[in-house]
Amino acid sequence: MSFATERRTAGEWVQFALGGAIVAAMFYPTIWMVLSAFKTNREIFRHPFGLPEEWRWGNFAEAWDKGGMGGLYLNSVIVTVVAVSLTVVLATAAAFAFSRLEFPGRKWLYRLLLVGLLLPPPVVAIPLFAILRDLNMLNSLWALILPGAAWSLSLTIFIMHGYFTSVRPDMEEAAVLEGANVWQVFRDISVPMVWPSMLTLAIVNTINIWNELMFALLFIVDEDKRTLPVGLIRFFGRYSTDYAMVFAALTITTVPILLLYFLLQRHVIAGLSATSLD
Amino acid sequence: MARGDNRVAPISTGAGNILFVAPAMLLFGVFVLLPLATSLYYAFTKWSGYAEPEWVGFANFARAFQDPVHLASYLHVTLYIIGTLFLEVSFGLVMAVVLNSDRFGFSIMRGMFFSPMVLSMTAAGVLWAFVLDYRLGLLNSVLRSFGLDGWAQPWLSQSETALIAIMFVSGWRFAGFYMIIFFAALRRIPRNIYEAATLDGAGPVKQFFTITLPLLRHQMLTCILLAVTGGFAGFDLFFTMTNGGPFNATEVPATWIIRQGFDNNELGYATALTVILAVVVLIVSLVYLRVVERANVVRY
Repeated sequence: MSFATERRTAGEWVQFALGGAIVAAMFYPTIWMVLSAFKTNREIFRHPFGLPEEWRWGNFAEAWDKGGMGGLYLNSVIVTVVAVSLTVVLATAAAFAFSRLEFPGRKWLYRLLLVGLLLPPPVVAIPLFAILRDLNMLNSLWALILPGAAWSLSLTIFIMHGYFTSVRPDMEEAAVLEGANVWQVFRDISVPMVWPSMLTLAIVNTINIWNELMFALLFIVDEDKRTLPVGLIRFFGRYSTDYAMVFAALTITTVPILLLYFLLQRHVIAGLSATSLD
Repeated sequence: MARGDNRVAPISTGAGNILFVAPAMLLFGVFVLLPLATSLYYAFTKWSGYAEPEWVGFANFARAFQDPVHLASYLHVTLYIIGTLFLEVSFGLVMAVVLNSDRFGFSIMRGMFFSPMVLSMTAAGVLWAFVLDYRLGLLNSVLRSFGLDGWAQPWLSQSETALIAIMFVSGWRFAGFYMIIFFAALRRIPRNIYEAATLDGAGPVKQFFTITLPLLRHQMLTCILLAVTGGFAGFDLFFTMTNGGPFNATEVPATWIIRQGFDNNELGYATALTVILAVVVLIVSLVYLRVVERANVVRY
């Protein structure tokens, strides 16, 4: 920006100081968590603010083993990758059809999707439990993948539909005139056109599904099929007085996500601001 | 939100096109619509999850309206939603204005302010349970280091402060989300409007109320809807930090439903509670959307 080289006015320094103070106060708990993860319990109690006397990397290895973090990470990755791919692919096809094609029941089906946008997942937790039991999916990762994907569909379809309607279908019409069938138009024209939006929506859904707690709590019993959020709660329950261990476990589960976020910041923010549907 | 149907001509017509929406609708049907539909049956039964459900008519609903904890859970969630409107939406709006600058450092600050959004609610809840811990929590340590020992409280384990504490944690987690929505909209306001206002002698506060706020009206209304519907669904933070306690002081509909259904094996009763929750959320959002629509007609 051309303004950036001019000297800051007094008002701008006030703005900078105010913003900096609030942001620092809000970011401090995260730093406190990471620093505490290196300390001993005594040190956390005696010197809550300072740097650790000694950087005890061993805390992380211990928390990783005690919490079975490897398994939790693996399950979370499997659930997230499969559910997000499923949602984004199915939602793109549906949004393409809702915006570009005509078929019986189009408007009616589109309105039906509003249900998934307005209602929160807790309202189906119990009957969903019975359905998953009848489908023999309870206590398997499918119990998290399929409902997770299904509950992400509405928002993903609505946002995708918005992208499609913001672009005129000139390219698709031209392809049809040249004799391409609808499937070819979708695969060769529309998908490459909305590909960046698909990635953005994949990021949004990744954050939601990666962090999902309620279904994971209710539909999974076996310890070896747990995902990270539930694993963290169980860890917290078991070691609630071993502060250093809990901070190490928290750091292990959050810092990789934070680093990934700071790397992909622009895309994450673009994606999440799209969810306001304005 | 769902816009009018002013679409261009479809590139293809015919029943076969339904195949493009069929997989999505199948998934949606089985895991969203079907459980909603079956809950209308289970809500009228006594059902432990093991034996067959037994039809009991309206008994569950009669019980729900006499269940003091259930009724209190709606009070708590209403207070929580009001709290989030200030601590998430309004705070997010103010921070969008404060952090709206191209100067060095502001982009990093926006990124840091937003970062709690990518943490799971579980991680946020566990972290804040430690920040608010009585004996060695960060908050009480800060208060004690300023000599305010009397102000240190067992924040999460006494009824008067637990709900307020959760509201603040929720604000910490979500303010960044609303900040980003408002920030994106602020960027689209032409700068010369502010320059003209400055020439007319309007200060920053006056500019906020006469220019920024009216132009962000649309985003404001969307954010309020998101905060309200999201608030009714609130579960993760409550479950992680207090699980409804102390003495049901932070019980919200979602935590009470899960407790009835899965801890007490009262699945029929819990399903009735979910039906009530669904109806409440639908009525509140539809009334809100209708009022907003009407307000827009009057205004333009």
